[in-house]
Amino acid sequence: MGHKIFAYLDERIRISSLMGFLLNEPIPGGSRWAYIPGSMVFFVLILQFVTGMMLAFYYGGTPDHAWDSVNYIDHLTYNGVAVGRLIRGIHYWGSSIMVIAVGIHLLQVFLWGAYKRPREIMWLVGVLLLALTMTASFSGYLLPWDERAYWGTIVGTNMIGLVPFVGEVIKDAIRGGVGLGALTLSHFFTLHTMILPTLFILFVLLHMVIFRRVGPAGPFSGSPEKLEATKDTFYPRQVLMDSFGMLAIFIVILALAVLRPPELESVANPSNAAYSPTPAWYFDWIFELLKLIRPEIVGVVGLPVLIAIVLVFLPFVDRKPVRSPFRRPISVLSTLFVLSAMLGLSIMAENGYKKLVDVDRVAMVRGQGVFNTAGCIGCHTLFGKGGKVGPDLSEEGLVGHSEHWLTVQFLNSKAHFPDSIMPDFTYLTPQQQHDLAMYISSLGRMGWPDPTKTP
Amino acid sequence: MDKEVTYRVGIPVMGPRGETLGRLEKVLLTESRHLVTGLIVRALESLHILPLDRVTEVSASEIRTTVLPEEFHGFPVFDPTQYEEVPPWFFPPGHHIELGALVTIKPLDVREQGEHEAMSRRAFMGRSVAIVAAAIGVSLLVPIGGYIMAAATTPMKDSWRELGVKLQDLPFDEPVGHSFRAVSVSGWMRVPEEKSVWLIRHSGASDPASEPEDQVLGLDSPLELKDSDPRLTVLSPICPHLGCEPQWHKGQKLFICPCHHSIYQLNGNRIGGPAPRPMDTLPARIADDGAISVIYEQFAIGIAAKKRLA
Repeated sequence: MGHKIFAYLDERIRISSLMGFLLNEPIPGGSRWAYIPGSMVFFVLILQFVTGMMLAFYYGGTPDHAWDSVNYIDHLTYNGVAVGRLIRGIHYWGSSIMVIAVGIHLLQVFLWGAYKRPREIMWLVGVLLLALTMTASFSGYLLPWDERAYWGTIVGTNMIGLVPFVGEVIKDAIRGGVGLGALTLSHFFTLHTMILPTLFILFVLLHMVIFRRVGPAGPFSGSPEKLEATKDTFYPRQVLMDSFGMLAIFIVILALAVLRPPELESVANPSNAAYSPTPAWYFDWIFELLKLIRPEIVGVVGLPVLIAIVLVFLPFVDRKPVRSPFRRPISVLSTLFVLSAMLGLSIMAENGYKKLVDVDRVAMVRGQGVFNTAGCIGCHTLFGKGGKVGPDLSEEGLVGHSEHWLTVQFLNSKAHFPDSIMPDFTYLTPQQQHDLAMYISSLGRMGWPDPTKTP
Repeated sequence: MDKEVTYRVGIPVMGPRGETLGRLEKVLLTESRHLVTGLIVRALESLHILPLDRVTEVSASEIRTTVLPEEFHGFPVFDPTQYEEVPPWFFPPGHHIELGALVTIKPLDVREQGEHEAMSRRAFMGRSVAIVAAAIGVSLLVPIGGYIMAAATTPMKDSWRELGVKLQDLPFDEPVGHSFRAVSVSGWMRVPEEKSVWLIRHSGASDPASEPEDQVLGLDSPLELKDSDPRLTVLSPICPHLGCEPQWHKGQKLFICPCHHSIYQLNGNRIGGPAPRPMDTLPARIADDGAISVIYEQFAIGIAAKKRLA
């Protein structure tokens, strides 16, 4: 059957010749594990396409629906499996892993000297794809329309506004107005789901067409005769290696999606001035660097321009044909320096953030019972209900108090606020204190009502 | 083609009169059918394609054909750019390519390990790729299938809705169209909606006309059977034929659907028209003070069975 279909298609569209063209690409020097990062990036991109389409299935791209629809996705189950959270988890972690995979791919191409003549244009297209990846991360960040999304985008677009002369105009064009609102969300949604995927498809294709025109660079050492003698075709060995790379990255993404599903903070609240936004981890180093550079404008404008200049002009400035990283000490050492600086800055940035308590969901549920029986609601407001004597606790989990701070607050709030009129809940057992602290830490971060259950 | 045939690149190709036509350059084959279709013969100035059915004899030292030297030049000229190189892994059954002669053959395995080993290695790697691809595909497509179906299969909880009407306030044997506010659930949205039902208070609990046809036909679900009351029939306003709304005609004492003239009696029994089943009764409860509550169910239209929609 399959044989007949194949023969039918082969006669009409010359499928075997096409397959031959795609698969019999000669690789000088043979297949290597070192060549798999490009395929891994390609795979994660497809994964993002597929899961992204799935998310768009149930997503409502307006401020009055976005958060609710994401919460709905988080609660979608099929036969008891939390499929919605899984798909969103794959997309969420896929974006982080894609940034890493792109970074590794770029680094490998750099170390192998594979950007050198005649592959400068392929490198340029790759740099453009890197920019698309970063734009996709940034635009996708807003879509859940929670506190983190809203405030992260406020800061991100404000940075664009700092660019001299054109900044304000660009910022307002991106936002669809002076403030962040419905138009910003639909602009970002369109950018994220229509413009960027189209550009991705175009430029990935171009990247690959150029690749096939110019051919793989092969190893950085070895005589042409030796490389010719050890030449291998793309299929099957390199394809197999690539598929193992894809499987590995898929397992990593799946594991992260299952073990650490993405959180959904409380819905974007433009009046919550106390919220301190943090960028996605891959922008951490920029975040930290911007704190060090004064005036801001130099960092905000200079840094991206500097990165762009280095990446764009690299193959045109570095024109020596030597490719081995061992014979390019300056390039390699300066790259190592930049990488360790990025790592150091990222660690510094992460240490500077307020750590939110890692919530134990079982204790959180018990803590809700403590909260209800201890009468907290008499003074504190929670999601619109309760007393007005104490502060509103609806987003208390986002403030970043430690468990210890919260426990002290329960038992002796005057230690923190000398004028506090909050009673000392000294009768709480240590277990109850822990549970209550978990519940308070979860407020504004998780435990949202399940919209798939009919009331 | 049963016996093993050896093609050695470079052996002379002879015509029937024994003149050399040229030398064997390549073997031409269709991959999909695993068949050798012809030989490429290098004559003095060009490459010609010689179909295999013109070959009469193949030996280790030469190939004989039925082609005369003068007609040989009429055979199509082989354009190397139009064909890929003979794939080295391809050796049709009964055929064999003399390895030492084919210096351009790839990949490395063929030269180093012999065709058989290379073939099985290649097949093994091909299968491994297929297994990995299938593993990724299945573990991605299964959750996606569930995700797509998840919203469709989210169970709706039956909710009793008090109508704000008391049984004693209804007229006897006269349908009352009662509208009430309900909430329709669509994904994350709760949309307020106006719904309506027909309420029919029967004059006597023993009145045989009070027993709706769908109960007689056994169309009702356990829920509807459990929550039914002989004093009252609650009918869905939706015609089971194609979903229009039958109207009560006071003079004729009949429900008539304006779309296709399905005609129903007071308690929803069919007496004419294309409807496949009687009007649908809904579960109803009457509290001690006479307050009526219903579950607003919806059913598939156009079929004889009273099949509830999720």
